[in-house]
Amino acid sequence: MQSSFTHPDRAASSVLRSLTAIGFQVELPVAATCVLLDTFDARLHRAGLRLEYRGGEVGELVLAGPAGTPTAYLAWAKELPRFGSDFPIGPFGQRVASLSEERALIPGLAFTTHTRVASQRDRRGKVVVSVLLHERPSVDDAEAELPSWVAEVVGVVGHDTERAEAFDRLARLGLVPTNGTVADVVARAMGSSLEGHTSVPTIALDAQQDALSAYRAVLLNLVSTVRVNLPGTLANTDPEFLHELRVAVRRTRSVLSQGRGVLPEDVRLHFATAFGQLGTLTGPARDLDVYVMGWDLMVAPLRLPDPRVLVRVRGEIERRRRAAHAILSVELGGEACRQTLEDWSGWLAGTEGVQPKPKPIGPWMARRIAKAHARVVAHGRAITPASPPEALHDLRKDAKKLRYLLECFGGLLPRKGRKAFVGQLKVLQDNLGEHQDAEVQLAELRMLAHDLHARASVDTDALLAMGRLSDLLDRRRREQRELFVERFASYDTNANAIMLTTMLDALEQR
Amino acid sequence: MKVAATYSIKGGVGKTSTAVNLAFEAAREGARVLVWDLDPQGAATFLFRVRPKVRGGSRRMVGARGELASNIRGSNLSPVHVVPADFSLRHLDLHLKKRARPSRRLADLLAPVQDLYDIALLDCPPSISLASESVFGAAEALLVPVVPATLATRTLTQLVDFLDDQEDAPSVLPILSMVDRRRRLHKELAESLAADWPELLTTAIPAAAVIERMGLERAPVGISAPSSPATRAYRALWAEVSARLWA
Repeated sequence: MQSSFTHPDRAASSVLRSLTAIGFQVELPVAATCVLLDTFDARLHRAGLRLEYRGGEVGELVLAGPAGTPTAYLAWAKELPRFGSDFPIGPFGQRVASLSEERALIPGLAFTTHTRVASQRDRRGKVVVSVLLHERPSVDDAEAELPSWVAEVVGVVGHDTERAEAFDRLARLGLVPTNGTVADVVARAMGSSLEGHTSVPTIALDAQQDALSAYRAVLLNLVSTVRVNLPGTLANTDPEFLHELRVAVRRTRSVLSQGRGVLPEDVRLHFATAFGQLGTLTGPARDLDVYVMGWDLMVAPLRLPDPRVLVRVRGEIERRRRAAHAILSVELGGEACRQTLEDWSGWLAGTEGVQPKPKPIGPWMARRIAKAHARVVAHGRAITPASPPEALHDLRKDAKKLRYLLECFGGLLPRKGRKAFVGQLKVLQDNLGEHQDAEVQLAELRMLAHDLHARASVDTDALLAMGRLSDLLDRRRREQRELFVERFASYDTNANAIMLTTMLDALEQR
Repeated sequence: MKVAATYSIKGGVGKTSTAVNLAFEAAREGARVLVWDLDPQGAATFLFRVRPKVRGGSRRMVGARGELASNIRGSNLSPVHVVPADFSLRHLDLHLKKRARPSRRLADLLAPVQDLYDIALLDCPPSISLASESVFGAAEALLVPVVPATLATRTLTQLVDFLDDQEDAPSVLPILSMVDRRRRLHKELAESLAADWPELLTTAIPAAAVIERMGLERAPVGISAPSSPATRAYRALWAEVSARLWA
């Protein structure tokens, strides 16, 4: 929506003169620094919100929604908030936290302005429209050419006429209307995107496209996800960076494992090994992240009379988590990892490996997906109550491979059908995932109990509480195990099989 | 969106000043606030400098095709929006009576705007009527100012007795209002009230000139007298109320 004006040649004073001529009262200019805050994947932006820190005489956080909705303000004299939990209890923090969840709020675009407020009031003294005149917007260390001023027309609910009149008045001066607020204008001039980064693995593909070029495009998208999430993982900005990186690595490994006959074998095996090592590196830190993030929920059913009983245990898990991240940072930040990603990106961007007789990706991928689905069905049907937990873990890996193919090469399938099928698969995966998480956490807890006991670092109450927690995790594991029969049965249906076959048949015939 | 109402069967106990000052404090703490002035005298409307006009009158607003959005106005406090009152609200009971579920009507009108605001504060006229029942159907908490006078608790008892018979009744949060700690009677009554009513909020609003001057300043005391004891009291009161609402 056009709500601002600027002009390359006109002086800001001409705007002020015009506004005062129709009764606007102009306040003195105030210098302010503005910093936009959002998560790496722009969760606030995608929800139609903008969180800004405005530092002037009094610092404040401003949470603005779409035009016409009230803006919320919160005085802020501390360091910029990093997580939803940094806000005081109340609706402001609750709104931010409900969107940001475990993601950190990262300071993005930052600029300074000298802002004057010009307001028009009605006979009751109520402001009915304002114009914010931002003069000399500037960004540190930036060479981008910014407009010398931006005039932002801010309406008041119930006073649309007055807003329209002010807008028309400025338009008649021959000023250039522009979209959004001063932050949008500065962001555009700087070439900054407020859209954030997403790790969507699905890209547009054509069924007739050469299989090698399709694999290259999919894998390039994945390696770029690994790369953009690497700095946040190294700095441990929030746990989602590692999670996204790890998922992209797993997807890469999965696509590589399904690339025999398309990718040159030496290249495929070399990078399968390299990404396998990357995956192994990231495991311990991620497992401990999951442990810590789920801790409160996990211990809540214990209803401990004194929650401090497990403080040392949690502290020890936190310590191990920090240690795991420190190791991870060294390994991932090292030369070997850098070289792997560079070599891989280089190979994907090149032309090596082109076959004389290219095969189309459509039929090829249809067969791959059919096989992956058949494997899930066969392995799932083979699981009995007597099967060891490893059988469920292996099935989980099979299901992931199928899911990754459906997502990474999802551009070949109809969106609606694919989403419906993946939805069914996800229900099964959630069950297998929760079973596996309980297994891992149980093993970790037992190890922890032994270590702490050996070092005499915990008292009897804590050991007893850990015993109860261990029972709880074991019960959860067993519940998920029992639930598996039902979850697998709801996946392994004729309707599901027909849904998938219909999509794959169409893909083969294209 | 949380819904709270400043309500009392008695008049002149500080309902409007409580609503207006709590709206300011809530906004200061980062809330998006909707003040709905239900009192035909329109004192909250006046204090927020909003034109006292209900589009089509209260009949249209609570009628079958009535809605709240077109009546919402901005105020000089950016996060505070106001549904103004006008004299047509004196017939609110009559218009509500024509509705199928009069006690749910105000809640139904608030429902479409519930994602736009964090809290709606309903400033009610002094009475107990069908409109009051509709307020009880919409609000989760009634903020009831009680002045330290010998008969003051009587109306509070009447209200609580009435709500005891209602399903899904809002919680009643009495607030000591217009307290002059220098007067022994006020002090004694405040102590006995606290003993008799465990729900009584601990913050007492003082009798203060800055509150009386709100009509002249047409602004909350947080703006006209930011360092005054009255402002501190409303700030503490909001902290108590928000802790109850967002607990």
